[in-house]
Order: sequence, then structure tokens, then C-alpha cells
Amino acid sequence: MHKVEFEQLEETLFHEKLDNGLDVYILPKKGFSKTFATFTTKYGSIDNHFVPQGGMEPIKVPDGIAHFLEHKMFEKEEGDVFQEFSKQGASANAFTSFTRTAYLFSATGEIDKNVKTLLDFVQSPYFTEKTVEKEKGIIAQEITMYDDQPDWRLYFGIIENLYKNHPVKIDIAGTVESIQDITAEHLYTCYNTFYHPSNMLLFVVGNVDPDQMMKLVKEDQAQKTFEAPTEIKRIYPEEPKEVAIKERVLEMSVQKPKVFYGIKPEKLDLIGPDMLKHELAAQLAYELLFGRTSDFYHHAYENDWIDESYSFDYSLEHGFGYALIGSDTHKPEVLIKEIKHTLQNAIEKWPFGQEDLDRVRRKKIGFFLRALNSPEYIANQFTHYAFNEMNLFDVVPVLESLEVVDLQNAFALVSHESQQSIFTIMPTAKEAE
Amino acid sequence: MFETINIAKGVNVHVNETTQFKTINFSIKFKDKLTKEKASARSILANVLQHSNEVYPSHTALRMVLDDLYGTSLYIDSSKRGNEHIVTLNVETVNDQYLSEKGVLEKVLNLMYIVLFKPNFEHGLFKEAIFKREKNAIIQRIESVFDEKTRYAQQRMMELALPNHPASITSNGTIEDVENVTNEQLVAEYKEMLTENEIEIYAVGDVKPEMIASHIREFFHFKDREKAIAAPPLELVKPEQSRVLEYEDMKQGKLHMAFFTPITFRDEKFPVMQLMNGVFGGYAHSKLFVNIREKESMAYYVSSSFASQFGLMFVLAGIDSKLEEKAVALILEQLEEVKKGNISDIELEQTKALLTNQLKEALDSARGQIDIYDQYMELTDSFEPEFMINRWKHVTKDDIAAVAQELSLEMTYFLSGKEDEKDA
Repeated sequence: MHKVEFEQLEETLFHEKLDNGLDVYILPKKGFSKTFATFTTKYGSIDNHFVPQGGMEPIKVPDGIAHFLEHKMFEKEEGDVFQEFSKQGASANAFTSFTRTAYLFSATGEIDKNVKTLLDFVQSPYFTEKTVEKEKGIIAQEITMYDDQPDWRLYFGIIENLYKNHPVKIDIAGTVESIQDITAEHLYTCYNTFYHPSNMLLFVVGNVDPDQMMKLVKEDQAQKTFEAPTEIKRIYPEEPKEVAIKERVLEMSVQKPKVFYGIKPEKLDLIGPDMLKHELAAQLAYELLFGRTSDFYHHAYENDWIDESYSFDYSLEHGFGYALIGSDTHKPEVLIKEIKHTLQNAIEKWPFGQEDLDRVRRKKIGFFLRALNSPEYIANQFTHYAFNEMNLFDVVPVLESLEVVDLQNAFALVSHESQQSIFTIMPTAKEAE
Repeated sequence: MFETINIAKGVNVHVNETTQFKTINFSIKFKDKLTKEKASARSILANVLQHSNEVYPSHTALRMVLDDLYGTSLYIDSSKRGNEHIVTLNVETVNDQYLSEKGVLEKVLNLMYIVLFKPNFEHGLFKEAIFKREKNAIIQRIESVFDEKTRYAQQRMMELALPNHPASITSNGTIEDVENVTNEQLVAEYKEMLTENEIEIYAVGDVKPEMIASHIREFFHFKDREKAIAAPPLELVKPEQSRVLEYEDMKQGKLHMAFFTPITFRDEKFPVMQLMNGVFGGYAHSKLFVNIREKESMAYYVSSSFASQFGLMFVLAGIDSKLEEKAVALILEQLEEVKKGNISDIELEQTKALLTNQLKEALDSARGQIDIYDQYMELTDSFEPEFMINRWKHVTKDDIAAVAQELSLEMTYFLSGKEDEKDA
């Protein structure tokens, strides 16, 4: 077992890669009564075109299948896994993102049993045509629920604008129509391809003894048999540099317009330390341009172009990413013009120096340290970073190493006019009485 | 958990000295009576005070000093509990032992003082432009509820079921009342908040209780104040209508049901009612989840919740608009099972285990510690999780059935997306 100490943060992380390929990480937390565990596969909604395990030819699977599979993992021949977790005092859950499917629980007792339950249920698929059919009604209601949420529609609207071919533009849960095509056989194909331990990561954080926990996981895995790991072949389409759609409007039952201004990064193949450096540098650049201390924010807020719903963010995965700036607004045209203007000015003349960098860097370090109070944040973010060959605990040293020119270079890759797009939701026009 | 030091009549400092967290959390809670007018004025006040002040006269200046203090987070929110309205100054700052720079805590305490006591005044009033802007921000916040249809449906039901009752008054007040607040009234409300409200001050982190108490005593000058009169029991008045159907342009139907129960937070049967709610619809092993979602495949979300301050229980479900009647019948059928005491040993044990887990987990965050302690202060002055765990332990199925029998369905509200029924 490897032990890595992060002295300044007073954290110690334990790691071992098991014989079957599973990565196991354990982070003991002093003073906490709860333990939080995530068991995650590097498989999300974008992995819809691949060579199935044991096959030769690539196949395409129906939209929404990774999420469907996540739902069906909880049902077993002998009943619902939630029942077992509840009996052991654990709250269990799962989520599917573009790139990951995570199964998780938190509990303040019976940790060994709960970890066993987590490993067992994710590693014993049980799908029948009957249980698959039954789930379609539930997921259709889930999709319908999201369809009625303007903020979700806004988010997917802008992603569809930014990406022409990449499957990130497909809603994670699919559509009510697409899920009708899903069969038990599909689920087994996806499961067998993506749920091999060598494509998965277990993270346990909280009130645990690392030696004892590692022993438990190792023994559990040694008892189970798996095929030899093979390399997974995923196929992603060629994505042009420019955005797919410059501007689109959707009408919904909302009280005032909502705008998302999106910027597609130029370099989408980053991974590892380069990716971490670029992502953090671009985040700081966007913080300076659009954060709460920026000139833009000051003017937009005092003039009532934005309200408390205002947000901005930059996030990056291997293969896709986006900067988003948005708000509910009575003045969508003015807001759009101001954002465009702010980007254009920064492209023409970079306005920030060392003092600005030092300030937002301090803010970001503080945010990171606050987040380390949360076992959920640590487990989820660590996994996200690890799947992109980065280390969560490198965030502070990389932030400390950034220079003004790094921000400038990162911004240059996430700003060009041809990379920008706008999605707006307008209140449904009321018919005249 | 917390050590309490009284610093003036009606003003207490509660400190949990712990190394569990990498940060230090503060909350200063100002408690007043809940009315629409108070809620409206105090929400504006919260925003105006967190916008800027005499020392940092613009929003940007205040946010820059917070960034410099390692992204210290500072915000003022407005909330309610029972018939109390609470304005809370929340601050979280990094423990400077993780930083190369020291003395951050002193600066943060000083900033908290400035935010509360050095407002951005001009001729004895809040600066007019800021006052107007933040009034507008609160109006926009209230309006935005419409966009989230689950929240909107719940609010609509409460307005219709219990108008002008603390259960339906929102912590932000109403658009009309916010519009009517004058700058003079806001100044009066501000002064009243500082001098007459009951104040609870919390600190969680690696800090000494005496240090925090003496700092507050020395710099904040909170004077004695009379304890607000104990909350009168909140009468629930039977709604005029028992079923309401409304329409919006949307795909899913939102079913909301309200039940009255004579049991509130202060009742000795409070833990029984918590278990009843858990068995019925509080968790993924509950009757509603297992039957309505898993067996019938009718809903993605269906759950019950217990608003213990008011003696209300709600059921919420997102369903196909055509299936309202069927859903209501199935939900009531499950309630009937609970009333008959058809509860398995496993259901009871699971619910006890999850309530226990939830409570212990909540105490793993500083905010959770503050919120739970502040809420339970009324029942015990030395809250520990065992206080509730021991009470849940002895609850039986018969106890649960008995409290279920006291529930009465008072309103069924359905927000439908189906337009064609409108003309029928």
C-alpha cells in the first residue's frame, strides 16, 4: 500500500492498485463520524460508440443507456439494494455524468458491511426484460421532470450549440423515445465492457482504519473472478473547432428571460498535468473577467442586467469542455452585448497584472481548503481528476506556480469569436385574450 | 458540543472548539417575529448589509477584501422557523495554520463588525441607489420561484391552504410588501435588529470560547434586550378548498398533498411522527417509494416530509398529468397501511437506522452543527445525538399507527401540464 502525505493540508492518502486492476484509495478523516464511499466506473453518457468486450466491430447503443444501467444496478433477483443499505443505516445513491457512473453510500456505522454491499451490488449485474421494461416508466418521468426545468434546458441548450458531433450534446438520460429501444442485452454488453475493475476506482473517505479497510477490499476482490483486463476502444467523432450553432432561442414557462453565453475551448485533447494547469489558469482568467470583483459584474449588477441567479464557470474533460456565463435577465440583448464586449476587450488587450492574479489565487486556495471539509467533494473530485490522470492534491501547488502569462495563454484558447455561442430561454408568448 | 457564554441579556455566544475542520465558521442569528412585512423588510436589509458598507463602500471593494482573506465567504441570509424570522450573517474562513500568512482570524472578526455596525449610510439613510437595487433583487428572487415548478406548486398550495399563516409566509416576504418598504423603515428595522432582536452567535473551529466571547463583548457592544415572548401555539385553520387544480405550460404534473397532525416539534410524540413519516415516504425503503415508484413505475420522485414546526405533513410526486386520481388513491392506500399498523420489523429498524445516520452525518459539517444545535436549544441545552436516538429507540409500530390515525388530509393541489382538460 502506498502512502502519500500532504503535509500542509494535514491529509494522508493511501493507495493500491489491486491485481484485477481496481484502483483503491483511502483517506482517513479525524473527528468525522461518517464514512463516504464511491465506486466509480469511467463510463458515462458520451461512451455510446465502442467495441464491446469480446467483439471485433464497434457498435452504437441507444442514448441514455449509461444512466439506465445505473438505475438497473440497484435491482437484484432477491430485491432492491436500497433495502439492504437502509438496514445497515446507510444512505445510498448513484449518479451518471458525461464521463462517469458513480455508486455511493454514506454511513456512520457498519462500514465494513456497507463497503461489502457496495462492491457486491455493483459487481453482480442482474437484468431481465421484465425489470428493464418496468424501469422505462420511472426514467420517462425523470426525463420529463428535467424537461420542465428551465435551468437544465438552458445548460443542455448551450452544449448543443457548442458541439456539432461530440456525444456530450446528447442528454445524459436520453429521451423518452430513445430509452424505449434499450434491452437487457444492451445493458449486459455495456456492463461487460465498462464495469471491469481495471476501469473502476473505489474511494473511501472518513472514519476508517486504512490498513483494515484495504485488507477487506483486497480479500473481497480476490474472492471474485474477472476476465483478464482488455483495453477499451471508444470511438468519438471528429469535432470541428468552431461552434455548431451561434445562437438559439427556446420558449418556456418562465417569468423572465434566461441567457447562457458559452465558449468552446480550442484545445480539447489535454490530459494530466497540462490539463490541470490549463484548467486552473483559465478558471482564474474567467474569475478576473467575470467574477464578483470584476468590472463586468459591477456594471451588470448595478444596472440590473443580471440578478442573484448569475453564474460563470469553466470546466474541462478530455475531449470537451466549456466556459459558461449566464443569468436570468430582463435585458438579454444588453447582457449578451456586454459579455461579448468584455471578451473582445480582453482578447485585444490583456488587462490584468500580478496583483490581480495574487488576489484570485488566494480566493481559489481558500475555496479549495474549505471544500476539503467535505468528504463528498474529496471523493467525487478526486475520481474526476484521477480519470483525467491528474491529482486533486496538486491543485494548491499548481495554483501557487501560475504566472500572469499562464492565465493569458489559457484565456487565448477559450475566447475566440468563432468559439462563442448564445442560448436564450424566453417566456412563452401569451396568446391575446 | 457547544460551550455557551452569555454576554448580555438575550445575547449568547456558543463555541465548539474542534480541529475537525480546516476552516472556522461563524453564524450570527438575529431572531424576530415572522410577519409578511418583517420578512420583506429584513430580506432587503440582509442584502443591503452584504452589498457594501462605510469602510468598503462598493460591492467590488467588499468582495476584494474577502478574496484577499483567502476567499473568506460572507453572506447574509433570511430564513424562518415556526413563527420566527431569522437573519443570519454567515462567515467561513480558512484556519490560518494551513496558510503561510497569519492573523487572518482577527481581520475576519473585524470585518464582521464592520458589516453589521458600519452601514453604507448617507444622511442617516441607506444609500438610495443600493437600497433600490437590493429591493429589486429581492423582488426578482421571489419571482424566480415560478421557474422551479416543484417549489412553485408547494408555495401555491401553502398560500391557498393557510393564507397569512407563518407556514405559508416565505422568508423573503411578498413582492407587494417589498415594494412598499421605505428607506426610513429599513433604517428603523436595522436598528431594531441590532438592539431588540434575540441574538445567537456561533463559532465552530479551532478557536477558544473565551477568546471569541471577549472579542464580541469588547467590539460588538450588544446591549441587554428582553427575550421575545414565547411562541404561542400555531393554530392550523381548515382550508376553504380541499382540492385545487391549476395549469402551467409544462410536461409533468406536480401533485402536492397537505395533511394536518396535532404533533409538533414540542410534542412528546415528535419522534414518533418522525418515524411515521420515514416509514411512509421519507426514504428509498419507504412505502411510497417502494409502491408508487418501484411497483407501479408511476413516478421518479414521490416522498413525504414532516414540517414539525407547524404540525404539517406533505406528500410530493411528479407524475403524468392523466394519472392524478390513481396516484392520490395509491398514496392514501399506503397511508391506510400505516394507520393499520401494517409495518414490518425491517421497515421500522431501517427507518430508525437512517434517522440516526442522518443526524450523525449532519453533525459532520460545521453548518449542520450550528443548525441542529440552534433548533434543539428549545428542547435541551446540551444537545447530543443520543438525545434523539434514545427517543427513537423505544417507538413501536403501534405508536406509529396511532399518530398516523391522527393525520387528516386537508388539501390536494395539482399543477397540471395538460391544457386540453382546461376547456372540459
